[in-house]
Amino acid sequence: MTDRRRINGPAGATIPPVYDDESRLDLKTATGRSRPPNAIRKMYLKTGVTPSASGSAYLEIETSGKPGVSGLKLSCSVHGPRSLPRSSPFSPHIVLSTHVKYAPFATKQRRGYLRDPSERDLGTHLEAALRGSIIADRWPKSGVDIIISIIEGDQDRETSRFQGDEVWDMMNALSGCITVASAALADAGIDCVDTVAGGVAALVQNTSDDSTTSIVVDPIPSEHEKILAACCIAYLPTRDEVTNLWFRGDLPASDMELYTRLVEQGIQASANANRVLVECLNGTVG
Amino acid sequence: MSTATAPSLAIPGQLLGPASKFRPGPGTHIHDANLYSSLLGLVHVTQPAKAPGPAKRLTKITPAPAPAELPTVSVSASDQKLKREVLPEVGNTVLCRVMRIMPRQAVVAILVCGDTVLDAEWQGLIRVQDVRATEKDRVKIYESFRPGDIVRAEVISLGDQANYYLSTARNELGVILATSEAGNTMYPVTWKEYRDPATGLTEMRKVAKPY
Repeated sequence: MTDRRRINGPAGATIPPVYDDESRLDLKTATGRSRPPNAIRKMYLKTGVTPSASGSAYLEIETSGKPGVSGLKLSCSVHGPRSLPRSSPFSPHIVLSTHVKYAPFATKQRRGYLRDPSERDLGTHLEAALRGSIIADRWPKSGVDIIISIIEGDQDRETSRFQGDEVWDMMNALSGCITVASAALADAGIDCVDTVAGGVAALVQNTSDDSTTSIVVDPIPSEHEKILAACCIAYLPTRDEVTNLWFRGDLPASDMELYTRLVEQGIQASANANRVLVECLNGTVG
Repeated sequence: MSTATAPSLAIPGQLLGPASKFRPGPGTHIHDANLYSSLLGLVHVTQPAKAPGPAKRLTKITPAPAPAELPTVSVSASDQKLKREVLPEVGNTVLCRVMRIMPRQAVVAILVCGDTVLDAEWQGLIRVQDVRATEKDRVKIYESFRPGDIVRAEVISLGDQANYYLSTARNELGVILATSEAGNTMYPVTWKEYRDPATGLTEMRKVAKPY
């Protein structure tokens, strides 16, 4: 769908050209991971950033040391509980609607102002993750809107050189969305059984000549030669429940244990993110 | 088993105590016989009201502590946010403004629920059979309410998708503030009449009994 109401910027990449001279060649190789395989990146979380919303939160994940790689910046606002529109049918519990939107400048490829299918997909995943944590029947006949803007999309400007697949970036974005939405819901005072947080684990291949693989959490695509498979998990730590699982990639069919280990690492990453979330929520009251 | 056992600050999913020692209040839920917080806020433990007068000597065997004697634990948002959003519930007394009247019903906007002023606007409906308790077949909506009146009513049902169903079928429920056709605020004279102090004319309303 083309957007004919606004004057859009150029559709392609909006970065200056990078010339291929001798001094830059060393920058372009996969740098390798600077963290231990089971450590997520540092993140900053703050609630109550939007005064007009019932609840809001802001999440920032640090950029990697490599130049040209952006971090993740998310802003979430929760509106409601409020009355449902007249046209909607009776609902004995709260109706959740989630909107995830990349800012036009958030990624290397410029995004349109209208939500595209991948953003709708993120919204659906987010809704599934949150629905498991909300006590929906406390709020009959009402709706709540959760709106997330991705301000900076955690992308490497040189991704095309490594791998053109955006899905791995979407997984990182989704795990951030889950964490930030959970903080905003707690800020809005909507009943939840637990604080849900997101985490990503991936099976990566570090060097092109070597076929050995390893499992890392919170992967940055540019740090690895190839990402074979990844899963994004939304996890409730005190309940010990997984509310959403998004898996993508190819695993050797013979090795079922690999799949379990990947999910375990995803849960681990989510538990780590949850510690930040708990720390942030504890800091807001008191 | 006092305030010391419950932490002062709770986040969603935090363990507050066993369900055998506390009663769940607002902002909490029970899972696996334990009480957990479901909101971010401060924990309040309310001791049950003691029976007045000296304790009587036991003359019969009673079952061990009844649930009503347990302290209630609740979680509510701190003072920085004035009040949490509330929803009208069945049995609540609400204040509402009449938006429009129809022969069979009056459409109202619920403004206040209990003691809380609502942020969101909820729509309510007073059907002709819920206006008063007696002579229901003689009720005329236009002789009971006019647009702009402030009405005290009780929620009787969550209703359909759009409306809460309200009732004024009690003496202390009905119109509490009415303006005449001339635009003056009127005072109640009988259970079904308001009088305009300026013109002296009376208008028909379902009048709420003053406290």
